[in-house]
Amino acid sequence: MHELYNFVSGPLAWVAGAFFVLGSIYRLVSMYILAKRKDGSSLEYMSLHYSLRSIIRWLIPFSTMGWKADPLMTVTTFAFHICFIAVAVFLSGHVVVWNTAFGFDMWSLPTQAGDIISFVVIAACAIFALRRFMLPHVKNVTKPKDWFALTLVVLPFLTGVLAYHQMGPSLLMTTLHILSGELLLALIPFTRLSHALFTVFTRAYMGSEFGAVRHTRDW
Amino acid sequence: MSHISDRIISDPGLELGVANLTTERIEEVVNQALKGETGAKLKAYQETCMRCGLCAQGCHFYVSHDGDPSYSPVSKATESIYELMEKKGRVSPKRIYEMAQIAYTECNLCKRCAHYCPVGIDTGYSMLVMRRICHLLGVVPQYILDTGNSHATTMNQMWVKDDEWIDTLQWQEDEARDEFSNIRIPLDKEGADIYYSVIAPEPKFRTQLIYQAAAIFHEAGVDWTMPSTPGWDNSDMSMYIGDFENMGRLKRSHYESAQKLRVKRIVMGECGHAYRSVYDMGNRWLGYRDMPIPVIHSVEYFWELLTEGKIKIPKKFEHPVTIHDPCNIIRGMGLMDKLRDVTHMICENVVEMTPNREHNYCCSAGGGVINCGPPFRGTRVKGNKAKADQLRNTGVSHVVCPCHNCHGGLEDIIDHYELGMHPKFLGDIIYEIMEKTDAL
Amino acid sequence: MHKKKLTRTLAPLAAIIAVMLIYMAPMAFSQEDMVVVPTSDFNAPERPAAMFKHDAHNELAGLEDCVVCHHGKTDAGLIDLENSSDGESCSSCHPVKPENGATPLMRAYHLQCTTCHADALKGPVACGECHKK
Repeated sequence: MHELYNFVSGPLAWVAGAFFVLGSIYRLVSMYILAKRKDGSSLEYMSLHYSLRSIIRWLIPFSTMGWKADPLMTVTTFAFHICFIAVAVFLSGHVVVWNTAFGFDMWSLPTQAGDIISFVVIAACAIFALRRFMLPHVKNVTKPKDWFALTLVVLPFLTGVLAYHQMGPSLLMTTLHILSGELLLALIPFTRLSHALFTVFTRAYMGSEFGAVRHTRDW
Repeated sequence: MSHISDRIISDPGLELGVANLTTERIEEVVNQALKGETGAKLKAYQETCMRCGLCAQGCHFYVSHDGDPSYSPVSKATESIYELMEKKGRVSPKRIYEMAQIAYTECNLCKRCAHYCPVGIDTGYSMLVMRRICHLLGVVPQYILDTGNSHATTMNQMWVKDDEWIDTLQWQEDEARDEFSNIRIPLDKEGADIYYSVIAPEPKFRTQLIYQAAAIFHEAGVDWTMPSTPGWDNSDMSMYIGDFENMGRLKRSHYESAQKLRVKRIVMGECGHAYRSVYDMGNRWLGYRDMPIPVIHSVEYFWELLTEGKIKIPKKFEHPVTIHDPCNIIRGMGLMDKLRDVTHMICENVVEMTPNREHNYCCSAGGGVINCGPPFRGTRVKGNKAKADQLRNTGVSHVVCPCHNCHGGLEDIIDHYELGMHPKFLGDIIYEIMEKTDAL
Repeated sequence: MHKKKLTRTLAPLAAIIAVMLIYMAPMAFSQEDMVVVPTSDFNAPERPAAMFKHDAHNELAGLEDCVVCHHGKTDAGLIDLENSSDGESCSSCHPVKPENGATPLMRAYHLQCTTCHADALKGPVACGECHKK
């Protein structure tokens, strides 16, 4: 068990990190090269002003047609993304890892708050799952890929909560938690979760197209 | 919940096209097109789309079919172009038929769903790529294919022959002389201030629109001209078929016929898709970042004439009107304020519909859907109950609608849902109520 | 009246606390009775103190030389495994928030314990194994 833990928390963490960083760079660079080669007539209209206008607008809940269409989804997705980042980076347990491994000394979430927002993420995933089960227009287009991505995301949170609340063998739960977190990190560039890499560009392009060519707004 | 296979409509163009296909041919063409003609944009869309379903509310087809999920934008893309991408073109001819029917007749490329997608996916673009592939496969609904053939042969949409075009203009000039003694429809006048272009259905069966435009320009004392040679038709069904090569030919001839006459700018008649083809699609295909010659839409030109006082309105149009915002000039070009200014300058009583401006529902005729002809009339009319409800709720008698396709679409909707309203071009109203200082 | 009642209740309570403190005071300082890693330097610690029974640990780990944990500091500021710092508190060299570039107390604790455990393939390494609720 110690060997596994050492492997998972040592070399495998670097491998997962490398997959994430190099994978992301690879995906972004190859996408950019492809865009340069094939989408010149779209790239030409990219505008920083309209990109930011669109990105900022869509970062405000309920300020777009899309965010007004389904309030539950809007609340859920905002809560999910904010809490996801907060937990991944600022959870006190994680900050200790950054501190022990790299010597960073950074602000962390109060332990209680971290616990609560981890549950928020799990609840949000549950709502995502329920939408996929229950809403016909979501169910209709849900593919195994979507379930896979959702599972990837929820696993580190489930195991994390179990490990934190010391349910089940601590070492095993922690090992599983790290393992699932690494799986998530490594697969972000290669699954549906790649929207984390591309959304800023698709949003920016849509903003530019609507602002610079169509002289109207994209929200 | 239904599926496209439950609502296949018989169309000779699609049937013949599919009959000529083999799975090998499909695979070859699809991959060639995907690899050769699409890039990061389509790939990112297919990948980044989280299948959240928020776009559903954006689509009038979805709303009109009481939330039938098979009509949501993401479903239409998933069932067509995304599937081709995932299966690398390995689909049956029968499936291509279904995909073609979705792309040509169940999506107006209106891009309203763009306002609903958090990650910025342009489903209109994806559906157009689907149409492009259908075109390359030779699977195109018969009626719109015919307009495409006309475009390719005559450079206009309606098989109008070169002499018929000139003859029609002279006929309208003749007619107008009964009303204005010295009115002219000047052909090929070099260096004119404006070059007026129309879509081929105007000389074919809506000649009064040319008459009205001539009357308005005459009253305003405009230095204008129309070309006597091909290029006069600004319409572009090739764009909607996915025949981009021909789209390029059409646009080049349109721009160049104006450049040859060294006019200052083109004013196009009240048409939506022609404008899209000029500022969005055709120019890009030809490699122009912007239009090579200034092109403005009638809405903008009427706005100029009215605000400069060249046209005077002694008494505004009295009937209550509502404003239909055509996608291609509003969501596509941001003319919503000018359209409102003009409407308020000529109409007494304007009732807005909800939603309006760039959030307005499409007429469901646009994007070439009406051009797919009678077989698909039901598709677009039943697919736009949302528009009928919108119109009914205004309680007005007339609908201002500065777009030919919208006109046709609204007429059918008004007829089917028995709304008893009358769509009006701005030109109709302006011609009717303007001061005619020179009239006999 | 109320005051009197209050004193009457509080006095025995205070006495009990005082006795407990006197009784427990040596525990905090004598390693023999140590059950947790000393946390008194931390201002409001977020987790329960790490379980640590000094003598039992050393017996189990076969540790006889104090310097393995109670290391000293070389002139270059590195870990000195020759000279033990036994008897000094960890925080005397590793303050919670050092200003001289020294390793902070929490990091020193974490590294000290988990590195050794990971290397030895024995002992607690995961968070919840030491910081038991």
